[in-house]
Amino acid sequence: MTMSEVKVIVRRNRPGTKGAEFCKWPEEPFEEMDSTLAVQQDPSNITAILTPPETQDEEVWKYEHLRQFCMELNGLAVKLQSECFPETCNQMTATEQWIFLCAAHKSPKECPAIDYTRHTLDARRLFTQQVSIRESSLGKLGSVCRRVYRIFSHAYFHHKTLFDDFEASSHLCRRFTSFVMKYNLMSRDNLIVPNMEDGAITTTTTTTTDAAPVATETTTKVTPPTGNTTESEA
Amino acid sequence: MDGDSINSPDRNGISKIRDLIRRQRQESDGGCDESSELDFLYDDADNYTNEISELYSYTEVPEFRKNLAAYDAVMERWGIPLQWQRLSPEVRKSVILRLLNHFELSSKTLRAEAARAILYVAQGCWSEVQSEQEQQQWTRYNVTLLLKNGIFQAVVDLLCLEIESGPMAVRKPAVSLADSAELRVIFSILYTIVETIRTKSDDDTEEFEEQRKAFKAEIAQPVRDELLAVKLLNMVIKFCGGSAPHFPIKKVLLLLWKVVLFSLGGTCELRELKTKYRELAGLAPMKEDTLEVSRNMRAASPPASATDLLDAQNERRNIRPLRRSLMKQTSLDESAALDLEMGDQMEEEMKEIEERRAMEESGELPQPPSPRPMTPVPAKNKGLPWTPKVRQKDLDAFLENSRMKFVGFPIQGDRDTLAGLPAPIHEGVKVLKQHIYVSLSEWQMTREEELWRCPLSMKESDTDSPAHGVEALYAAMLPNLPQYIIALLKILLAAAPTSKSKSESINIMADVLPEEMPMTVVQSMKLGIDVARHKEIIVKSISAIILLLLKHTKINHVYQFEFISQHLVFANCIPLVLKFFNQNITAYITAKNTIALADFPSCVLGEPPELTPESLELGEPQVYCWRNLFACINLLRILNKLTKWKHSRIMMLVVFKSAPILKRSLRVKQPLLQLYILKLLKMQTKYLGRQWRKANMKTMSAIYQKVRHRLTDDWAYGNDLDARPWDFQAEECALRAAVDRFNSRRYGEPSKILPDFEPVDHCITSVLGRPVHLTNTFREYYEVWLEQEVFKNPVNWDEVLSCPGYF
Repeated sequence: MTMSEVKVIVRRNRPGTKGAEFCKWPEEPFEEMDSTLAVQQDPSNITAILTPPETQDEEVWKYEHLRQFCMELNGLAVKLQSECFPETCNQMTATEQWIFLCAAHKSPKECPAIDYTRHTLDARRLFTQQVSIRESSLGKLGSVCRRVYRIFSHAYFHHKTLFDDFEASSHLCRRFTSFVMKYNLMSRDNLIVPNMEDGAITTTTTTTTDAAPVATETTTKVTPPTGNTTESEA
Repeated sequence: MDGDSINSPDRNGISKIRDLIRRQRQESDGGCDESSELDFLYDDADNYTNEISELYSYTEVPEFRKNLAAYDAVMERWGIPLQWQRLSPEVRKSVILRLLNHFELSSKTLRAEAARAILYVAQGCWSEVQSEQEQQQWTRYNVTLLLKNGIFQAVVDLLCLEIESGPMAVRKPAVSLADSAELRVIFSILYTIVETIRTKSDDDTEEFEEQRKAFKAEIAQPVRDELLAVKLLNMVIKFCGGSAPHFPIKKVLLLLWKVVLFSLGGTCELRELKTKYRELAGLAPMKEDTLEVSRNMRAASPPASATDLLDAQNERRNIRPLRRSLMKQTSLDESAALDLEMGDQMEEEMKEIEERRAMEESGELPQPPSPRPMTPVPAKNKGLPWTPKVRQKDLDAFLENSRMKFVGFPIQGDRDTLAGLPAPIHEGVKVLKQHIYVSLSEWQMTREEELWRCPLSMKESDTDSPAHGVEALYAAMLPNLPQYIIALLKILLAAAPTSKSKSESINIMADVLPEEMPMTVVQSMKLGIDVARHKEIIVKSISAIILLLLKHTKINHVYQFEFISQHLVFANCIPLVLKFFNQNITAYITAKNTIALADFPSCVLGEPPELTPESLELGEPQVYCWRNLFACINLLRILNKLTKWKHSRIMMLVVFKSAPILKRSLRVKQPLLQLYILKLLKMQTKYLGRQWRKANMKTMSAIYQKVRHRLTDDWAYGNDLDARPWDFQAEECALRAAVDRFNSRRYGEPSKILPDFEPVDHCITSVLGRPVHLTNTFREYYEVWLEQEVFKNPVNWDEVLSCPGYF
């Protein structure tokens, strides 16, 4: 048969695949993709990825994205394993200034960077217990983002080449930055990896902030808005 | 009344003595005006301002500045203008998120600084406000903002961290305020958030309401597989165990109380739940609500004391026939009054009494021959505040007794046949049936028995275990419940005003005492007030926590309630409460351990006040101390809950000589408090003897007037002391067995309860794969066994198949 002579590349790990063969297939160029999955396969098209379908519930949308981020971050974690050892990076640092605690334990503690990464990504209870999004768990998205972001920042500041390599193919940090900015899940000032989004880093000076006081410059005292409907979720 | 007594020289002398005694008593009571009733409204908690200010002790006042300093330092470092009120909402949010990031830093100082800054924000950024009201508004606004950005969870995480890594390693001889600095900041943030969200206000927006609901759900959810309430209870155990003497126990207890109150609900929710569960169980709706009814009650007049004894003697000498007729009169009226409308009557009666009083005071009314104050005039339509109740048990006993008397043999389980019984008995049964009231507990107990008897055919439905926060809390508390109870009672004992501070095993003062002891007189006066206030607040929160747990579990499932209450009894709660009341309770209730100037937020608004002996006294004068009265009522309610229908525990009340203690407490003129005391007295009058009853007729009539009647209950005259020997052990053991059965059925492992009904494993591999342990003896003599049992006994296996019995 003529068909059999053409080598079909099956991009799939069959049961029993040897370790050496695992995921060992050539990347498919974007132009050659003809399935609908093509849309999903272009990681650089961040706006398209982050635009929710019309009828999508926003909270579920955010939640699912975060879950996706954690899944894809496993790629970075695997790469980090070859370079980031408990002996060399014995703390979760991002720049020399900040050392973070690992929140995945019964009480937070200092873990080596690679353990922090693994613990944070493995903290399944953040996700599994909620099938439908309860109102109460919404506040947690922000804290998950904060913790996950530190993996990016650690990789950036301490394993730069590895990070650049990963970022070039996945655009994950860029996407994550736009995601948290879009939904206002983190403070701009905490996004310390530079040049990720229309200048997230440039705002460290925070000079823009005092431009919008609630009250006018008169000396009358400012009463808190009791309704607090419009402001808080700006 | 003196005008009358002048006539006879003999009585004149008596009245002089009486006056003297009365005056002395007034002085010893701290000058409390006896004739005025306390204008006190019982509620789940005091008003918001007081509840917040009680969070901070006066020695903590200097720390408010530290919070401000931390906030200023952070804002300056980030180059953000200091005025919170001027910031745009986005910037505020960004500040909060940045502070949140700092919570997870490894550096302790940075974390502490961020926590202090957050606390300052939660306190309403007080340096920018002018008035207390404004401060509250800003607190409300800021707290919603904090909550929305997940601060609460983050602070709970921080709490976990601090619990683990406190300054425990350093064992110092004297623990002071400084040792708990970080923990106190954390607790202050948590408490401010919980209390602010919990408190309802008139101008709550719909959004706020939503947020409250969401937060209520959140707080009842386990964090890191542990409920917040249970985490706090564990802290209490640790504190009592002595391994963490630096825990700020007052704040822990306050937060625990508020978390339980908020997540489970207070009086309102309790009433709703009870109504709902009664409906689900198919029981008639509740008749009255205790708190509602008692709100319309009047306090009893000054009760029996030395003066009363004199009165009683007088009466016996002079007007005995009159009194007897009076009593007959009222008891006759009872049945007639029952069917009438209660509300109108009450009002009328009150008016009448009030008028009479006014006239009496101005001396217009012709005095009755006896100089006794408030001699009950035979009232025309005397109404009682409660509709009487009858238990099914009582009706059965009544029927059985009458049948034995008139027919000669009992009919088990029959409640309708009246054959052979005279007409008055018919009527009696009719009245009893009218007032039958099946309590939720009785229903739950019978239901539990059924469930136990038919473990396979009957399953628990939703009506049996309604999904409510109590269920989760109880299940989580169950493994350590006795320890929790003991710990709470230990602290209560240490905080009781009568206990001596020297012999205490636990030091509850660690979070008031400053590092350096006061030097001046004013300072030590202030510290004295602070310490007393600290104790009062601890008593208040513990009493509220226990009462809430009891009330909620009682509605949820009576055996949960019995489990807790039995542990309370075993931990000597009954004598402890009695000991608490065995002090000058009027003085306790009127105690004024408050320095208005040092209360938050007044202490930070405006100029720091100069403390002088005079300024300690400043503030609104008050007739009573809200928290102390509240605590007293709670403790009495707990005592009532523990002893109701429990013969053996009522006997404990008698054995510990509670009657004089309780009677003395009746001097506090607050209807609700008196009601609970009277209830406690009522259940033990039977055992107090004729002499006591004779000497305390006034208390007896107060009981008659104010406590619900049980129709066949002969509480006042019955003398069945010999009929029911006091067998504490047996009763408690029977209860214990029922409770254990319930606990193991509902919370234990299913395989342990019904081993016979477990599915049999008939997969060959798994059965053969199971490890079999052989004894050493068997191993040693294995060959002998093989020889004797297997080889020597030929087995005809075919017979097994042909035997019909096996398959």
